[in-house]
Amino acid sequence: MKVHTSSKLRKEFIKKWVKGLQICCSLKKNMDILERKKKIKLCADIALASTKNETTLWSIALISDAKKDDENKILVDNLLGPESRFKPRMTNRQMIACHKRVRSKKILKKSRHVCQKMKKMGPPKSNLAAYIAKTLVKRRTQVLKRLVPGGESMDEFSLIKEALDYVLSLRIQVDVMRTLANANEVLNQSDSKIID
Amino acid sequence: MSSRRSRQSSSGARISDDQIVQLISKLQQLLPGTRIQRSNKASASKVLQETCTYVRSLHREVDDLSDRLSQLLSTIDADSPEASIIRSLIM
Repeated sequence: MKVHTSSKLRKEFIKKWVKGLQICCSLKKNMDILERKKKIKLCADIALASTKNETTLWSIALISDAKKDDENKILVDNLLGPESRFKPRMTNRQMIACHKRVRSKKILKKSRHVCQKMKKMGPPKSNLAAYIAKTLVKRRTQVLKRLVPGGESMDEFSLIKEALDYVLSLRIQVDVMRTLANANEVLNQSDSKIID
Repeated sequence: MSSRRSRQSSSGARISDDQIVQLISKLQQLLPGTRIQRSNKASASKVLQETCTYVRSLHREVDDLSDRLSQLLSTIDADSPEASIIRSLIM
């Protein structure tokens, strides 16, 4: 059943990706190589997120992030349909306020945590191992939060769930892009043979 | 929401520790380089670290592939016969 779902996702991704590239092309005819790369990547990301149909947090975050750029907003709207479906969850001001709230909560938590740890400092050995383990998990969770789109505002449980789905989707993206790149290489090689 | 975030109590408020352990083992199965016999209780911090590394490497691959594709595709005009051949190959 997993294979079935993934091939359906692949097809959907390819369709959206190609459509996105078509839109890019119609919007701007001649691009330099760097710009083209950016568009290819952007279209791939948006296409990937859109296959989720708003069912995951990371996909929603990815698209609303893409829409923040005015130039990309046009592309996204054309690609994904009416604007109302993917409104950015929060305005910039709201996001800043939210981040401030999250940060101050974290600072409070951290100081409370440290105080509690100081009190608990009984037999150092057993506590130290647990303390190190917890610190490591915490630190790595922070890193993962930055890697998964929208991760900063997720709780740990959601973060892991979203990371699971995100990894699966990324794999599809890489697989399709790699297949296309390889196919293209073969075509280009055979093209040059024919011309010569 | 805040009770979910609190990790000080090991009883884990609304979400059971068991669920988290299950999620982590699922994540572990996704990661490359799984040895045939993985210890039953995966260390959460190790799985998290490997996940971060994996996600970063996937990001890098996407970036490299975009580079390659932009070089190979002299135009991303999807109306060319080239594009239709490619499309039939990958669908």
